[in-house]
Amino acid sequence: MADDTSAAAGTSTETGAGTESNLRTTKPGTKRLFLTVSVLISFLLGAPFLLKSTEIHRSPLPSAAISSLSDHLHSNPPSFPCHFQAIFLSPFKPSDSSLSLSVAERIRAQLSAQSCGNCNFTVSVTVDSGSSCRHEGDAASAACLWECGGGGLVDAIEGRDDQGIDELLLSAVNGRTGGCAGRVYSIFVIEGRDERVVIGKHRHAWMVLKDLDDSTSVVSMIGTVFGDYFMRGGVEKGEYIPVGSDGNVVLSFSLLNSNPSDWIYDWDFQRTGEVLLAPVLEALAPVANITMESQVLYHAPKSSISYWDEKLEAYVVNTRDLPFFVNSNEWHLDTSLSASGRSKVLQFVVYVPSASECPLYIRTPEGEMSKTNAFISPMWGGVAIWNPPGCSMQSQGIHIVRDVLPPQELEKIIEIFIGQLRLLFGLNSNYVEPSPKFKVLASEKGFTNWELDLLYRQHTCFNLLSSLSTLQSLSTLVESLPRMIVMDEIGKQVELSLEAANLAESNISLGINNASALSSIRARALAEDAFFHPSIMSISYSSMEHYFAIYMPFFAPVSLHVLLAAVKEVKRYFAERSKYLTFRASKLKSS
Amino acid sequence: MASDPMGSQLRRILSIFFSLSIILPLSSPSPTMHNNNWAVLVCTSRFWFNYRHMANTLSLYRTVKRLGIPDERIILMLADDMACNARNNYPAQVFNNENHQLNLYGDNVEVDYRGYEVTVENFLRVLTGRHEASVPRSKHLLSDEGSHILLYMTGHGGNEFLKFQDTEELQSHDLADAVKQMKEKNRFKELLIMVDTCQAATLFSQLQSPGVVTIGSSMKGENSYSHHLDPDVGVSVVDRFTFYTLAFFERLDMYSNASLNSLFTSYDPTLLMSTAYYRTDLYERPLNMVPVTNFFGSVMKTIPTDSAYPGFLVAHASEYAAISAETETARVVLEDEADHSKTYDQSEKGLQHTLDEWLKLLEGKLGVKDPEVLVAYGLGSMVLLLTISTWLSS
Repeated sequence: MADDTSAAAGTSTETGAGTESNLRTTKPGTKRLFLTVSVLISFLLGAPFLLKSTEIHRSPLPSAAISSLSDHLHSNPPSFPCHFQAIFLSPFKPSDSSLSLSVAERIRAQLSAQSCGNCNFTVSVTVDSGSSCRHEGDAASAACLWECGGGGLVDAIEGRDDQGIDELLLSAVNGRTGGCAGRVYSIFVIEGRDERVVIGKHRHAWMVLKDLDDSTSVVSMIGTVFGDYFMRGGVEKGEYIPVGSDGNVVLSFSLLNSNPSDWIYDWDFQRTGEVLLAPVLEALAPVANITMESQVLYHAPKSSISYWDEKLEAYVVNTRDLPFFVNSNEWHLDTSLSASGRSKVLQFVVYVPSASECPLYIRTPEGEMSKTNAFISPMWGGVAIWNPPGCSMQSQGIHIVRDVLPPQELEKIIEIFIGQLRLLFGLNSNYVEPSPKFKVLASEKGFTNWELDLLYRQHTCFNLLSSLSTLQSLSTLVESLPRMIVMDEIGKQVELSLEAANLAESNISLGINNASALSSIRARALAEDAFFHPSIMSISYSSMEHYFAIYMPFFAPVSLHVLLAAVKEVKRYFAERSKYLTFRASKLKSS
Repeated sequence: MASDPMGSQLRRILSIFFSLSIILPLSSPSPTMHNNNWAVLVCTSRFWFNYRHMANTLSLYRTVKRLGIPDERIILMLADDMACNARNNYPAQVFNNENHQLNLYGDNVEVDYRGYEVTVENFLRVLTGRHEASVPRSKHLLSDEGSHILLYMTGHGGNEFLKFQDTEELQSHDLADAVKQMKEKNRFKELLIMVDTCQAATLFSQLQSPGVVTIGSSMKGENSYSHHLDPDVGVSVVDRFTFYTLAFFERLDMYSNASLNSLFTSYDPTLLMSTAYYRTDLYERPLNMVPVTNFFGSVMKTIPTDSAYPGFLVAHASEYAAISAETETARVVLEDEADHSKTYDQSEKGLQHTLDEWLKLLEGKLGVKDPEVLVAYGLGSMVLLLTISTWLSS
């Protein structure tokens, strides 16, 4: 029967073409229809595969979380809970009822502009004098209140030196303010004959006053210690953050021999310097990951001019010439091996002048001789001049002096460097006491604990704000280039950075300052890594026009043909079918 | 699949508004101090007949070094194919004047990007700071928020573009984009862009970032001309704009305080044969108050150290005398612990390692890691469908 139908189909088409065009006797074939429609369907099925395979990989960035966190940080900047407590160890009857309020007012009156890292402070006053025990003011929690019973301290303090008193009071504070030992700043007030105020190297101070009834002076002294020192570190100027964006700092110590034909000096920095500086670096660990390196350079003259001063019989460099002292062409200081691209390098230079300008001194802007013979340049480092002994004597031997810097001299120079490091971090190199009875103790870590707290607070706040603004810039940049590839690594770094920022914020409210500082460094490092990822180059993304230009030359003609063929075939099939149906209908009618 | 230009435009506008509303309160204008100066000197041409562009750049390099900017704060990008070129009659010497008085290639020339490394991509990477991890520190622009940057570019340029090494172009919107990103990351406090090409002023027409002052050697439609031909060397050795700039600086030294305004107004259009156009609308300081050494020289703010940190040594001695005895034993104990934890780690790592391998194998078999695989599957299914349909309809 098959060949009959095909023969009939053949004749029917012939007859169809010749005579009546709306009748056919056989069912129209579906082979061509199947072919064209299946090709069309396979193209349609393949289109999603094409789109998926040419899709730009964009790792999703949590932009909503970034903007909400950054809004949150800007509307309420991170506030660090600090608790100040004043403890009167001698009997004291306050004239006004609320001493703590007046102290708080005094502190607040001196608060200047809202700088990053300020304390959100609470003040409490305790009178613990043997018989009576009275608390007043607000405390962060009950655990932070001073436990009474410290009446024996007054006698124990008598006759000890300042370091001893400091340690004694430290153990008292640790014992009597339970869980808050790291967050509470205390001042002990004692009545006595010789008035003194001493600020210790931990988180407490003590003062001996003659007259405890003069409440205004008591309030002002307590307010000064709390506000100016514990809260602001005794500085007025703005903060410096000399930390690289990856949280690393390299301290590069160089000994420069200006003219080796006069004398050559070497130093044993490895032993002396590392031993002395190790506790400093450890104390600063939550602020930056600090490494040290040292070198000795030769043929490194300075580039400014010095003048011979008859009176002093020495060469003097004026303050006006100091900016040109560092001879960057001959001083090859920036040869650090350990500093990666984003670390900060701080240079500490010891300059040994040549015989033609020895001894060399620096004159301060006030016209006097500098006591340290050193200067700093903010965010760069510091220079100290060391004059070799006996260089003022004119009789020089013909032989070259080769010597090692004596260890005592090196230790003194390191003391100067510690002072410069403190200046570079925004603190005072040493405290200019307002009166001879005021004293601030020095710490072997280079920074006292309360100064470290201040640094942690400042750096945490700065790092958090900086990392959030970096993340914000990154997300706007990524959004503005919709066809830029965003690698998975970037997405991961952004996520980790946000996580660290949130952790830092929660640690701040808990008062754990060094953990929050560490998390904030991590947040900033990750945010900077993500922003400066080398794959974010705006010239290497493909625009929509580019995409079309690649695919259209093939797909446009092909799809046109396929579509046309399918449409034509479908139309033909339905036309033929209708012809066949009318034929069948007419046959039924006739039969 | 059709792109939605309207939609994308809308999205772009919205994102700009959104970003502005966030960025404006973020950028608290606390005035930062001017700390250091950087110079980025770019010569974008190569080949012997562009001798003058390399001489331009080297002359400016020499000037900037003489006025105090050290090599570690200069990024010099040169094709560097002139001094040792086979056509150079004076091997290893580059002159910028026919009197041959100054050998610019004499000593202490540190080229950071040379030859084929001078590309648009590397230039933009230098500006934005997005380098690969392997790029050494000397090739980075390590400026911070207190830096003043001098950006000098010379070569062949045109309307809104600058030609790099005869193969690619830097467009003005690329430069504007890079400067915008630099400003967002606070990579400079102030930026001076100096361009010596034909139609130079068009190159910075798209800049919008604040703190930028720019000067170009010619305006749109004008050419910049070379100054003179050196018959010995055989090519022009310097361009007019740079020649007059150098003439201005030869009179100065490290201590002088000539202002930027005097530099900009020293250009005479008849001598230059083009109009030196400068743009100060993005710059807030008045030009007559800005000394040229703010950009071309070195400045180092110095503060004399008033005192050391006394008591440090005493405190150190007293603290560590007592503890040193205890720490010896403690250190030994600590080391033991460290060893122990290391071995534990390693055994754990072994297990983890095999687990990882197994997971990777599984993923490789089933997971869709590669779009190529998807395409292969798609094509295969298409072919399958076709064969089935032909077989069915036969």
